[in-house]
Amino acid sequence: MPEPDRGTSSLLEESPVLARMEDVSKEFGGKRVLNGISFELRKGEILGFLGPNGAGKTTTMRILTGFFPPSHGRVLIQDEDLFKKPKKLKRRIGYLPESVQLYGDMRVREFLEFVADLKGLRGRKKRQDVEEKLTRCGLWDVKHRLIHKLSKGYRQRAGIAQALIGNPEILVLDEPTNGLDPKQIIEIRNLIRELSSERTLILSTHILPEVSMLCDRVMILNKGKVIASGTADELETGLRERHEVVVTLGPPAEKMAVLKLLDGVPGIERVGIEAGKEGVLILTLGVEKGRDVRAELSRMFVINSIPLLEMRSGHLSLEDIFMKLVVNEDDGPREVL
Amino acid sequence: MRNVFIVASKETRTFLNSWSGVFVFFFFYLVSGIFFSLSVLSYARISMESLKEGYQTIEGLGLTRYVFSGLFLNMSAVLLFLVPIITMRSLAEERKLQTLELLYTYPLSDFDIAVGKFLGLVWIFELLFLPTLGYLWVIHGLGGVFDWGPILTAYLGFWLLGNAFLSLGLFVSSLTENQVVSAVVTFAGLLVVWMLEWVGSAVGGAGAVFFKAVSPFAHYRDFTLGILDLSHVVYFLLFHFFFLFLTMRSIETRHWNS
Repeated sequence: MPEPDRGTSSLLEESPVLARMEDVSKEFGGKRVLNGISFELRKGEILGFLGPNGAGKTTTMRILTGFFPPSHGRVLIQDEDLFKKPKKLKRRIGYLPESVQLYGDMRVREFLEFVADLKGLRGRKKRQDVEEKLTRCGLWDVKHRLIHKLSKGYRQRAGIAQALIGNPEILVLDEPTNGLDPKQIIEIRNLIRELSSERTLILSTHILPEVSMLCDRVMILNKGKVIASGTADELETGLRERHEVVVTLGPPAEKMAVLKLLDGVPGIERVGIEAGKEGVLILTLGVEKGRDVRAELSRMFVINSIPLLEMRSGHLSLEDIFMKLVVNEDDGPREVL
Repeated sequence: MRNVFIVASKETRTFLNSWSGVFVFFFFYLVSGIFFSLSVLSYARISMESLKEGYQTIEGLGLTRYVFSGLFLNMSAVLLFLVPIITMRSLAEERKLQTLELLYTYPLSDFDIAVGKFLGLVWIFELLFLPTLGYLWVIHGLGGVFDWGPILTAYLGFWLLGNAFLSLGLFVSSLTENQVVSAVVTFAGLLVVWMLEWVGSAVGGAGAVFFKAVSPFAHYRDFTLGILDLSHVVYFLLFHFFFLFLTMRSIETRHWNS
């Protein structure tokens, strides 16, 4: 099915900031799980958190939803500190935790009414809100069913519906498509896309295509730090510019000699060397932005009588970027933008 | 306060809709009914015999004291078994289903959650024992005359004792996500509390005073005898506060424990 191009609209840059995390860190028993996370959430955007398991996505979301306070830093919801006025500000945020099972012994409608009660809705307002969310999330036909008898997809819809009760401005969804079958995934994605037209969303995922499909902006988290952020396109171009050249050399190429030669080439920032079969050497070279070293390289290898078997420019998909950022993270944080 | 009631009524409804709820009600009426019938029958036998011997009444053997004091003491032992079943799922189940995570992010305070849960358990307990007032009606129907004072204090004592046990059970339930662990540990805890008094009589001296002072049963017994002593009421209130405080601390541990 065709995916609408969400691209970055410059409009988003001007829309007001709804929520802001300022230098947020979280420690559990001396172990630092989040380290200086800062970002802004602008009205109307969909922000995606991308990262391997244990990167700190859920912890960040939990802090943003008022589950627990950060160890350092603060969270502002429209310039008010979330942890100073939790009862008031939590109403502005709807949250779907990862793999929440909900109350299996409640009926869908009864559950949403309970949530509406807790969110402070009463009377006609409560009834209208519950009915609207039942329709919105496609739950109308199952409203009298027990939650534990629902399929996973429907249960996830009920989870999204409870987050929507009370019409919060910000919706935080932690891995909303996790554990669903492909058809359910598409349905939930469509629902999220529909919701995004009137709300601001944050969602986390470890499925890469999902990010480019749904999100206006992506933040890649690893080991409790933001290692990159921007639109999916920006991330791709940003990394492609500091591109990569992969060179394959035939015998008698020698590791040390090659490394020495490469030292003399300006613009090479990183060298990865790997020995292939039958004396072949595979070099992965990180090259400075805006520089093409291929001509110089080929000349150099020819002069030194090293057989040049192959040379190509590496192309990075979002997947490669993700892998690179996460794997190279030990080299220290990198600014993609 | 509204949030407390919403959480509490959900707690009560969930329990009444569950099989463990059905079991607790069935078991409680079965056992208390047996205790009641047996004590009424044995009271009847004793008083018939005393009539045969030519006495009108026996000194110190009032109907109220014989039937109800005994019944309340026995029912307190039944609580040892029933309270763990009532409290086992309270917070443990929410933790397992991760619905606790939802509650934390709704506009609720930790106080609303802990006190709401506790109040819900108290309502369940009240629904459980209030129908025992029917026993009074049975006695009345049989032509018995009873002394209201001791009956009211006994109910008050039973209510306080049950609530104290529930607060302990709620705390244990907040520590685990496994209902079975929750029930077993609560039962063990109540058993230890139950035995404190025996420990007291075993050690003697200053130890006996101490253990008697902390044992809920020593405080409860006076209620069943119709003695209303403020210090006993204060003891039970402190018991509640202590475990509710621990429950709130336990809910708060999410702040520093992943």
